[in-house]
Amino acid sequence: MLTPMTRVRVIGPKSALVQAIEELHTLGVVHLDVAGAASDSSLDSVPEDHRRDRHRDELSLLLVELDALLSLVPATDRPAAVAGDHVPGSIDASAMRAAIAPTVHEVEERVRELEELEAEAVVLPRYVQPLRQLLPLVPWLADLSDRELALLRLDTAALVLNLDDDTVVSLLRAELEVELGERFELVATPVDESTVGCVLVFPHDAGDSVHGLLGREHVRHVALPTRYSQLSLRGAVEAMEERERLLPAAIQGAEEAVRELVVPHAAEWQLYRTAAAAELEQLEAIGLLRMTDRAYVMEGWLPRSQVETLREELDRRLDGQVAIEESKPARVDSRVPVLLHNVRLARPFEALVEFLDVPRSASLDPSLVMCLFLPLMFGIMVGDVGYGVILLFLGLYARRRFARSAPVLRDISFVLVFGAAWSLVFGVLFGEFFGDVGKRIVGYDWAVWMYRPGAEALEPLLLFAIAIGIVHVVLGIVLGMWQAARFREPRTLLDRLGTLLVLIGLFTVAGVAADQLPEGAMTPAVALAVVGLVLVLSLHGAMGLVMGPLELLGTLGNILSYLRLAAVGLASAYLAIVANELALAGPIWLGIIVGTFFHTLNLALAGFSPMVQALRLHYVECFSKFFEGGGTPFHPFGERQTMGAETPRAVEQST
Amino acid sequence: MDIGTGLVAIGAGLAVGLAALGSGLAQARIGAAAIGAIAEKPELTGRAILLVAIPETLVILGFAVAAMTIVLL
Repeated sequence: MLTPMTRVRVIGPKSALVQAIEELHTLGVVHLDVAGAASDSSLDSVPEDHRRDRHRDELSLLLVELDALLSLVPATDRPAAVAGDHVPGSIDASAMRAAIAPTVHEVEERVRELEELEAEAVVLPRYVQPLRQLLPLVPWLADLSDRELALLRLDTAALVLNLDDDTVVSLLRAELEVELGERFELVATPVDESTVGCVLVFPHDAGDSVHGLLGREHVRHVALPTRYSQLSLRGAVEAMEERERLLPAAIQGAEEAVRELVVPHAAEWQLYRTAAAAELEQLEAIGLLRMTDRAYVMEGWLPRSQVETLREELDRRLDGQVAIEESKPARVDSRVPVLLHNVRLARPFEALVEFLDVPRSASLDPSLVMCLFLPLMFGIMVGDVGYGVILLFLGLYARRRFARSAPVLRDISFVLVFGAAWSLVFGVLFGEFFGDVGKRIVGYDWAVWMYRPGAEALEPLLLFAIAIGIVHVVLGIVLGMWQAARFREPRTLLDRLGTLLVLIGLFTVAGVAADQLPEGAMTPAVALAVVGLVLVLSLHGAMGLVMGPLELLGTLGNILSYLRLAAVGLASAYLAIVANELALAGPIWLGIIVGTFFHTLNLALAGFSPMVQALRLHYVECFSKFFEGGGTPFHPFGERQTMGAETPRAVEQST
Repeated sequence: MDIGTGLVAIGAGLAVGLAALGSGLAQARIGAAAIGAIAEKPELTGRAILLVAIPETLVILGFAVAAMTIVLL
């Protein structure tokens, strides 16, 4: 559910403004918003202050520098945020920049060296490859250096031609003959599928006309790096190959040098960053305030349950020099920030909802729906005791591994654990243990419900998938109706109601046709479907005859889409059986290898594909009936503050 | 196995296979565009997955036809 929010207005004397901002920042519970209505002429914005603006710019620059430095620290060496609730004073950004400056220069130098090496590693193969292939074509030229070629009054050029067609080389040869007559040598060889490498030897005195011709024809000239240009062709290729061999070690050394330089400073930079970010956030907050001649006004949102705490804390910290007004927002107010808060089991699913979008304020939070259905669908698709156990342990391990470092991955691990538990349940119902291994071991079909790969199981499995789809889609439609009623949108409400009536009517007719319902239900079912259809058609106005049926077909398509629960599950079960058949086809040692390989492959697919499919069924088929995104996430003022115990004294401005 | 059963199997295979081809072609184009969009705005990842997954319904409908072919014929 969405946490109920309330809007608070904090009013106090101008003289206590700085302290009020600091205390509000420390508390970290209010999502600040622009104070006062635009039409309220009694409130003014805070006057411009160039000193403050300059300080803000300095802090922004400092933050950029610190972020760049911290990005060079390997993730494993990155310092964790230090606990503490220190309110930053006025940070001296210049002193901080001066403190980091000597290291910054050294880091820049090392990073530049590293980047040059990396660029060389990328560029060098582009020279070596064509030249290596050209060497055998010009053996008489290969051992002559530039100096020796100059003595012979000859120049050379290595060229790369994009091979649009086979005539490119002959066209170039024809052009050169026009310019130089017989006074040149051109040899060519394919470098890869789309390029041809060439060596052109020509008289030194014809250099200008040759280069002019190459420029006019847009021929790419491979200019060797300076350090190789004086060597013979063969010497240059050998030197470049040797350099290629040495480069990985050189890059590794340069990376190590950067790491050794930045790691010892990482904790200090993190501390500076936190302090500067906190200070900057407070400066930016000033833009949201409004003033009268003697008082300041701040406004923001916070969970309704925390208003009293805020009132007591601010009153105590500001010695009673503050007044807090509370105003309940309108039922539908797009300005209200959104904070999801669900029962503990459903909390990991909030990340999956936000993965799609943040729900609009006052709309429905689908986390609980996901909590109920997503693991169930995952379990139906995997439906194997063996895979379920492995996925369960993998999920538990990942949950512990990412408990602190990556909250989103921790949440997804929890979802995997939940899904694996359902896989165990359906594994027992379907009688599957690594496909048919369980069946082979015990010697009989131990499925409590049905053995999925069996021929007789196809029909009930499809019906089961459709039934899940009906429940899920109808739940989405009902939630959509509830939300439309809440938002007072009668057209949407009637549209959803019409769709629901048509669905009930159609499925009742199907039930009667399949002899599952009494024949007396036929007439009311047809009547319901007709009423629903007319409702949907009439709501779309003139386009109703087209849009109405399309919408209903779309909803039926949504329900059919749940057949993937059966399709993906059957594919997984059959792959497991194929793995077992292949494992038994050869000697035992080979069987173990082959079986392990295919079951591992199937397990990887079982962990990924059912999760994506279950997510899709929620996002597309169910959420489309009620979910409204576009909400503003709740970010309390001071949330980013992860400052350590104290800012180093050397960089604190004395006050 | 008689020739009728064989033809049913071929028909079922074609229903899934051709639907998968169509789905694959659509997903290739959508996927390329989605990766471009994610490179520009990583927060679109969720919606990109959703868009890439949409054509898969074609295969599911193909599967439905194949299953009906096998069950009913």
